[in-house]
Amino acid sequence: MTNTLSKTTAAEAHPLQDYIDRLLQGKAMLPDSEINLIEVVGILKSYGVVLDAYAVNLKYMATGQFLVLFPFFKYFNGEITPGKLLRHWWHDRINYEYAEYCMRAMMWHGGGGLDTYLDSPEFLQVCETAIQAKIRRNPILQGIHRLFPDFLPEQVRQSAYITGLGQFWTIMSEMFLTLSDRYDAGEITSIPAVVAHVKAGLVAAATVPITFAVTIGDENYDLIPESAGLTFLADTAIPYVEAVFFRGTPFLGTVSYNAQAHQIPMEQGQFAYGALYADPVPIGGSGIPPTLLMQDMRHYLPTYLHDYYRQGIRGEDDIRVQICQSFQKSMFCVTSAALQGLLPHSPETQSPDEQSANQAFLAYWMDRLMASRLAVVQLPSR
Amino acid sequence: MLSALIIIPLLGALLLGLWPGGWQGGRARQFAAIVQGVSLVWVVIVGCQFDIHVPGMQFVESFAWVEPLGLDYQLGVDGLALPLLFINSLLGLISVWASPARILRPRLYFALMLVISGAVAGAFVAQNLLLFFIFYELELIPLYLLIAIWGGTRRAYAATKFLIYTAVSGILILGSFLGVVWLGGGSSFNYDPTLTASIDLLPQLILLGALLVGFGIKIPLFPFHTWLPDAHVEASTPVSVLLAGVLLKLGTYGLVRFGLQLLPDAWEVLSPWLAGWAVVSVLYGSLAAIAQTDMKKMVAYSSIGHMGYILLAAAAATPLSVLGTVMQMVSHGLISGLLFLLVGLVYSKTGTRDMTVLRGLLNPERGLPVVGTLMILGVMASGGIPGMVGFVSELVVFRGSIVVFPVQTLLSMIGTALTAVYFLLLVNRVFFGRLAITLPTDVIQPDLILPPVSWAERWPSIVLAVVIVALGIQPSWLSRWSETASLTWRSPTVTVAQAVPDSLCEAFATPTCLP
Amino acid sequence: MVILLSQAVATGNCWPDRYTQIVVVMAQLWIETCWLIPVYGLVGAIASLPWSMGWIRLTGPRPAVYINILMTLVALAHGGLIFQGIWNQGGQEIAFTWFEAADFKLNLAFELSVINLGAVELIAGLSLLAQVFALGYLEKDWSLARFFSMMGFFEAAMSGVIMSSSLLLTYSLLEMLTLSTYLLVGFWYAQPLVVTAARDAFLTKRIGDTLLLMGVVALSALAGSLNFNDLYEWVKTEDLSPLLATLLGLALIAGPIGKCAQFPLHLWLDEAMEGPNPASILRNSVVVTCGAYVLIRLQPIVVLSPVALATLAVVGSITALGASLVALAQIDLKRTLSYSTSAYLGLVFIAVGTEWPGVALMILLTHAITKALLFMSVGSIILTTNCQDVTELGGLGPKMPATTLAYSVGALGMVGLFPLGCFWGYRLGIDFLWVDHPELVAIFLIVNLLTALNLTRVFRLVFLGEAQPKTRRAPEVAWPLALPMVTLTVFTLLVPLVMQKLYLLPPWTYVNKSALVCLILSGVIGVGIGATIPLSKALIRSMSRPVRLLQDLLAYDFYTERLYRVTVVRLVRALAIASDWFDRYVVDGLVNSVGFASLLGGESLKYSISGQSQGYLFTIVVGVSLLGLLMTWTMW
Repeated sequence: MTNTLSKTTAAEAHPLQDYIDRLLQGKAMLPDSEINLIEVVGILKSYGVVLDAYAVNLKYMATGQFLVLFPFFKYFNGEITPGKLLRHWWHDRINYEYAEYCMRAMMWHGGGGLDTYLDSPEFLQVCETAIQAKIRRNPILQGIHRLFPDFLPEQVRQSAYITGLGQFWTIMSEMFLTLSDRYDAGEITSIPAVVAHVKAGLVAAATVPITFAVTIGDENYDLIPESAGLTFLADTAIPYVEAVFFRGTPFLGTVSYNAQAHQIPMEQGQFAYGALYADPVPIGGSGIPPTLLMQDMRHYLPTYLHDYYRQGIRGEDDIRVQICQSFQKSMFCVTSAALQGLLPHSPETQSPDEQSANQAFLAYWMDRLMASRLAVVQLPSR
Repeated sequence: MLSALIIIPLLGALLLGLWPGGWQGGRARQFAAIVQGVSLVWVVIVGCQFDIHVPGMQFVESFAWVEPLGLDYQLGVDGLALPLLFINSLLGLISVWASPARILRPRLYFALMLVISGAVAGAFVAQNLLLFFIFYELELIPLYLLIAIWGGTRRAYAATKFLIYTAVSGILILGSFLGVVWLGGGSSFNYDPTLTASIDLLPQLILLGALLVGFGIKIPLFPFHTWLPDAHVEASTPVSVLLAGVLLKLGTYGLVRFGLQLLPDAWEVLSPWLAGWAVVSVLYGSLAAIAQTDMKKMVAYSSIGHMGYILLAAAAATPLSVLGTVMQMVSHGLISGLLFLLVGLVYSKTGTRDMTVLRGLLNPERGLPVVGTLMILGVMASGGIPGMVGFVSELVVFRGSIVVFPVQTLLSMIGTALTAVYFLLLVNRVFFGRLAITLPTDVIQPDLILPPVSWAERWPSIVLAVVIVALGIQPSWLSRWSETASLTWRSPTVTVAQAVPDSLCEAFATPTCLP
Repeated sequence: MVILLSQAVATGNCWPDRYTQIVVVMAQLWIETCWLIPVYGLVGAIASLPWSMGWIRLTGPRPAVYINILMTLVALAHGGLIFQGIWNQGGQEIAFTWFEAADFKLNLAFELSVINLGAVELIAGLSLLAQVFALGYLEKDWSLARFFSMMGFFEAAMSGVIMSSSLLLTYSLLEMLTLSTYLLVGFWYAQPLVVTAARDAFLTKRIGDTLLLMGVVALSALAGSLNFNDLYEWVKTEDLSPLLATLLGLALIAGPIGKCAQFPLHLWLDEAMEGPNPASILRNSVVVTCGAYVLIRLQPIVVLSPVALATLAVVGSITALGASLVALAQIDLKRTLSYSTSAYLGLVFIAVGTEWPGVALMILLTHAITKALLFMSVGSIILTTNCQDVTELGGLGPKMPATTLAYSVGALGMVGLFPLGCFWGYRLGIDFLWVDHPELVAIFLIVNLLTALNLTRVFRLVFLGEAQPKTRRAPEVAWPLALPMVTLTVFTLLVPLVMQKLYLLPPWTYVNKSALVCLILSGVIGVGIGATIPLSKALIRSMSRPVRLLQDLLAYDFYTERLYRVTVVRLVRALAIASDWFDRYVVDGLVNSVGFASLLGGESLKYSISGQSQGYLFTIVVGVSLLGLLMTWTMW
């Protein structure tokens, strides 16, 4: 780039300008086709079902299992029956571990208002009183708390993230299930319509408050009061997209943690292991946590999508890989919607300044998507 | 009893070839499989009635055939041949089973396979030198045709090479047989170890030399081996299984039966050289295998290395090492059969056997995980990991040979380490890593997907794998047949118990005991 | 057995008598079925197949995990019962004939002694803890069943190696260990460094194993039997030439050298750290112990050769010093500990080489427990921070109590600081070597000092200081990880008591005071240096050139890998390429040029493909026969 070029032309030379234009036109990064629509809507339907289960459990864990150090029954949502226990041991259940995995990724990467709030003095104060209430009759824990002062607060922060993700997913799940209903009713007929639906959903829920309160004994502890001002879009959705779609964590099965090999960047910001980057082919194999999600979704596939998968070369054999491919496509749609929702100015704006601001905003994200699977999802599936 | 083993497959071949009406490939395969299954059952029946305590030939059948030529139809089986008959029928069945149903000219193809089985069975039970020779040659043509018609792109070259080599081998063997009978003053070609007692050492040496080259080509041993990799590479998978698993055994069987047992005096003179030859063959085959990039060629070269162990054991000629030859023949037959089947599956699913491009086939959803698991088992068996048949047969070979040829045996043992090297490279390159069947390019491609492997395709390998593990855990199931035969075939030249420490000690006191 | 039992019931007059008799009979039952202990692991491995092979797809793999954990529990219980029986009745040997031909007889023999059973219990116990740990560590891994079936296999091989009293069985099981190490290191086979790590682990061990096999075969020919007890008898009367004895001794120690990651076959352990952490827990504690245990069993045979004994001491010393130094320069959390494993096994080698197997056993026992604990804490750090670079860690102490305590107790147990674990091993070794081998005492003290220094350094880097970006949010791990960690922490603290209970601790009157002072002093100095040297996070590479060169030399393990590459690897590759070239251009080239003469025949034969094969068959048979006749005719 030379200095003589104006900012706009420089940016217009972006290698992924095509996608920027598509986003500005209200389209998706994913090409609009019949098959893509089936895949995206179908997979979001089963994702919605699974997310709902995850969300319910997360919200239960944060409150019902608050500071329980041996939460043997944390996946039971408080309802323990012999049949349920047997099914649990037979591993015939939703893999809630994946939800925790996403929560941990989100917490570890941080960012957003939730992260900041959890370090604030107000939070620490409520946190301390809640902890004291909880360990009042437990001298061992009291001793540990004195020796390791950050241990229990860190667990409470984790609970905050657990419920935060749960509340975020409750909204997302409903959004995806409505999408599926609208598709079944014939209202959704194209990929851009999917994007529009998601975008509308995000915008509508943007300011829904994120809160966290636990009851210990008879006392209620407002760990994240509504007055903290944490909201759905800014404090859970965006950190979630950043942590899970973009950054992710390196999978032990594909990346070496060896410090001398320097395969993992020092800066978390440079991580590119998220859902938009991941290679679906090793799914089902070792060390790929999203396999759990794909496994959960396989049980809730709508018939039309399941039939489509069965027609593949390997049929049911590689269904988790196929689900992952579809899932990745759907996540590009969700990302499209999120980017459109977050545009600094209206996409139809005529003001050159606003246009170039929009352009710069999208160019930043496109820079980050350079190494993603964007190019692969453009190819026809079969 | 034994004639049935020859007649069943040959009759089957005849029926298959001449039955009026067009048969589909599937029907032909079914028929051939039934015929092979019947012969397998028949071998098992023979095995059940076989008395393992009798050292000599059993189930002898004999009648004059072409008397002027001294060609009698004389059959018999002892502990040396029985396990080989079993493996012939088993691998015969497996190779029919592993053949695709939709194959060009199915009737001819399956008929030829049956002819090979019958001919090989005949060679193993023939007790007349000329009869052995006829069966030995009889197997040649069908195999030639199987390579030449159903082979790869350079099939004409490979088939012709195979034919010429084996023809030379046949000539040498025939010449040697004629010499044995004429010089020994026999009236017929009937197998008789006492025949050669009257022959002087020098003619014996020349006769043995001819036999060694003849069978050395078939086994094959360095430097007569170059037909084998070519033949394997061009042959289709089932044919490779037969070739490696059964046909090469004709060479080693001939070596023990007609070299060691028919010409023992000359054998004793030459044995240090043979042991040295075995070492060269083992190390050369193994080293050459390391440099291969074609999976099938690698397995083929590994055969050269592993067949060298048999020569070593035969050279040592202790009771234990003779038992080792039989065990190693069976174990190599099973293991190389398994490896060729698996390489064939990889080839049929990916379209390549090139180890420089294949990666990550162990991938659980889109790769070939079961094939990969079996491949790991197969290469570990070949590398002599305990618990599988390869270990115990190699152990018997080494333990039997070290008392006579300590240095050569220790050098041959390096071959087991080298086997681990090349086969581990194979597994690591082809089955580990990210799934790929082409070199990485900058062109954006959809995610790779390999066609599924059906259970029908897997079963033959699974059966072989089970046999390999079973015989590895319970080796007496394999050794019991041959024990009496190998222990008593002749009184050992040295009393082993005594000779053991002496020869070992001598070897190390004077380290230059290589011939 | 049933008869015995009923007899016991029938003849017993008064209740206590009958009761003791039943106890004795039951104990005998447990002892006679000792071969089941390795079988349990195998059963677990096989029972996991439906999940690991993907036949059960709709539900998850956890039942396989539970089966394997259950099997380990059963093995632990069975081992405990045998231990009790042996404790009361004395050792026993149980043998089965496996293979017999000619003068060659192979026995599968198990020897049950207090030491063996103690080691088996240690393996089963640590394996149990590691498996529970793995359930947490790998909870997001869908190949759980494959991992656990390998762990079952692994455990079976290890307990078999310990109990075996036949060299052949020992060799076979060592190979099984090699194979399962390969499979466990290669568990994440899609990761490029794992691929090379698994390969190197297998090949390095295989080099040692092949040499060991040579020794086994030679020994079998020389001594006739491969049972350890027969071999020990044979050694007393045998009079081998010094050369043969030396070669035999060296061949026998080659296997344990590979297994215990001793110089020059040590590199695989570093690379094997690419494998999953629960397997690393076992690999650094009990797997290397198995290798050393075999060495201890072999030692009465190795004494045939003074050279081999001296080699053991030299190899041990080089590894102990070298690995302790290399560990100091590692920035990788797992590797810095794995090198210390090599170093401690070096001490074991010294002990065996100087014919003090008691010292070796003591070090092995205490090292295994504390090293397992250290690796558990490392596992929970990796899982929490997604990082194993010590320069990017810090400040974990206040947040992770279980992990911090586990590391601290493990580190204290690892160094010769009174009164935890390894102190006793050190003390015993220094006591025994004090008079005859002062130079080896120095090595013990230096290793202790360097280990203390290194563990203190790592502790400061990981647990103290300011939190870094990757350790900013670090909640303590979940209970499946914390529980085994805490259990083992408590057990490590109890080890001295257990040892006292088993009469393993010496009475104070026999203690060499000056040795004790030296030992504690070396540990204190180590901790002191470790606590005070400056540790700038960004540093790691020094600015001064000579220091940097030294750092790199140590960080890259004295460039051993490069050394391998330019020597052994290059040699084998060159030979392979040469053979291939020779094959292609000389052997085949010659044949092809000769072959042209008969090409005519070949070309015409090609046309036979289209039909009338019968005619050609006849032609060939007749033609070949005629040719043969002709040749032999002219011959004679």
